Amino acid sequence: MHYTFDIERGNFADAGQASSSVKRTLKHLGVDPANIKRTVVALFEAEINAIAHAYGGKIDVDIDDGKIVMVVADQGPGIPDLDLAMQEGWSTASPQVREMGYGAGMGLPNIKKNTDELKIDTKVGVGTTVTMTVYFT
Amino acid sequence: MAERETYFRHSLKVNFDRCQGCTTCMRSCPTGAIRIRGGKAVVNDNKCVDCGQCMKVCPHKAIFIQQDDFDLIRNYGYRVALVPATFIGQFDEQYRTKEIYACLKKLGFTHIYEVEHEVGYMIDLYNRYMEAHPETRTFISPYCPAVIRLIQVRFPSLVDNVIHVRAPFELAARIIIRRLMDEGAPREQVGVFYITPCAAKIAAVKYPVSKKETCIAGVINMDFLYNKVQLMLHDSDKAAQPVNHALTSSDVLWPLAGGEACHFKGSQYAVDGLQNVLNFLEKLEDEAVDAEGLVEMRICDQGCVGGVLATNNRFVARKRLEHRAKTFDSQGRTKTRYRRYDDPEFCAWINEQMEIPEIKPRSIYKLDDNFAEAFRMAERMKKIEKALPGVNCSACGAPSCAALAEDIVRGDAKMDTCIFINRHSQASENAIRSIWGDRVRTKEINNDDTNNL
Repeated sequence: MHYTFDIERGNFADAGQASSSVKRTLKHLGVDPANIKRTVVALFEAEINAIAHAYGGKIDVDIDDGKIVMVVADQGPGIPDLDLAMQEGWSTASPQVREMGYGAGMGLPNIKKNTDELKIDTKVGVGTTVTMTVYFT
Repeated sequence: MAERETYFRHSLKVNFDRCQGCTTCMRSCPTGAIRIRGGKAVVNDNKCVDCGQCMKVCPHKAIFIQQDDFDLIRNYGYRVALVPATFIGQFDEQYRTKEIYACLKKLGFTHIYEVEHEVGYMIDLYNRYMEAHPETRTFISPYCPAVIRLIQVRFPSLVDNVIHVRAPFELAARIIIRRLMDEGAPREQVGVFYITPCAAKIAAVKYPVSKKETCIAGVINMDFLYNKVQLMLHDSDKAAQPVNHALTSSDVLWPLAGGEACHFKGSQYAVDGLQNVLNFLEKLEDEAVDAEGLVEMRICDQGCVGGVLATNNRFVARKRLEHRAKTFDSQGRTKTRYRRYDDPEFCAWINEQMEIPEIKPRSIYKLDDNFAEAFRMAERMKKIEKALPGVNCSACGAPSCAALAEDIVRGDAKMDTCIFINRHSQASENAIRSIWGDRVRTKEINNDDTNNL
């Protein structure tokens, strides 16, 4: 099953639509609540990351009988130092974003913690593609 | 509909003589428990959480709460009215609580006991549970039975966040029975009757999540007693004796939104109102909010004063209870703790009685136990939903096109029932007839007729 969602830069009010929709489907499938939680937390974090940092993008979700693959692809600006970005507490979020309660530097580490596979392709000036996989069994 | 095991039962009923099948309740139900069949609202027992929303919105007063026969109290020598403070909030402040209670006694009760009298020990029970579960960050209050059921069916991943302690009226009932037995009453002669502000609390007495026995002999609807007492208050007994066990100011505020959370260290949230509760549970499930400690949750707006059986406006009732709390403060009320609370054996017994052993997840979403089959059904559901018009007209007897799509894959409805999909076939005619019964008019109306309507 395939789902697509658009991400609009800076639109925090609409954040969570992708994770809500995916959560509903996983509940229909009877996926274990702990795995639903991991999936939804990771997807929500990735969505927030793209809203806060990127110039817009899209989310592609594929569910098959054993796993879910979520691809969050944006159109830049890209991450200059990925190793730094993966560190807990490291953040380049603007003061405005921090005021909204985001930007604590826990996004990528939290995604890593909640997914079984995480792949990040990034190029400054081009964009970032985050591919997350969660296995249900 | 397909046969399934029923694990929830309810006191909310539909009066088919009054129901017009108008779809208002069906569209407002938070769990999608209602469908129109045969022209009437039909409730799926496993989806209903007793929130009372359907009863609140029904324009035909067709939904009611089945209560116990009031004459049941005559079977007991000691007839206790177990009164929540919400009941007192229904009456104007000019009437003293003892006058209100005197009316209840005239109606046949021999003793009055207030649910909130045991607030202190309830707080101990919550704290004890939270201390015993240091691995849990967010605890959800078990106070509102509709919230517990809602979590079971819609947010099953949160069942372990609920404090596994039974509702306060179960504690109060046990304590008053013990107090009366201390005074020499035989157990079988004590009948405790709980005055309920809502359907959820009746369900919690009659069909508890804990599966444990209740010691409450019957449940009486608050609006029923309100009407009787209000009539009697005009010539009430100003010289009535106060009841033995009086509430303090913080007790009397406990049923109001925020009245519970304020007792707990570090508690940051008090959430009231159906839509707010749904939104907040969604956020907790996504970890989009970080709530440490106790989260108070009440399905009704403003808490229990917003209950469907509370007669008066919730804001008026809230103001009245706050006013009474101030009066109690100025009287410098204090309570004497029930002496048996100092007896460890008694406390061990009470703690065991008040424990909920398990809150089972009862997901209403799961399409099939077999993942591959559920997957196939979910795929089909997505396709059907795309084919449906998306106007959510409810003519199919389901609250939305999405709900119809789910009904179809579950085998509870057919594609034909959508009047947009199948406008002119006999199959469509038959399907619509099975949903709407006699309300489907067969008379052809031509243009001339419509001009005369």
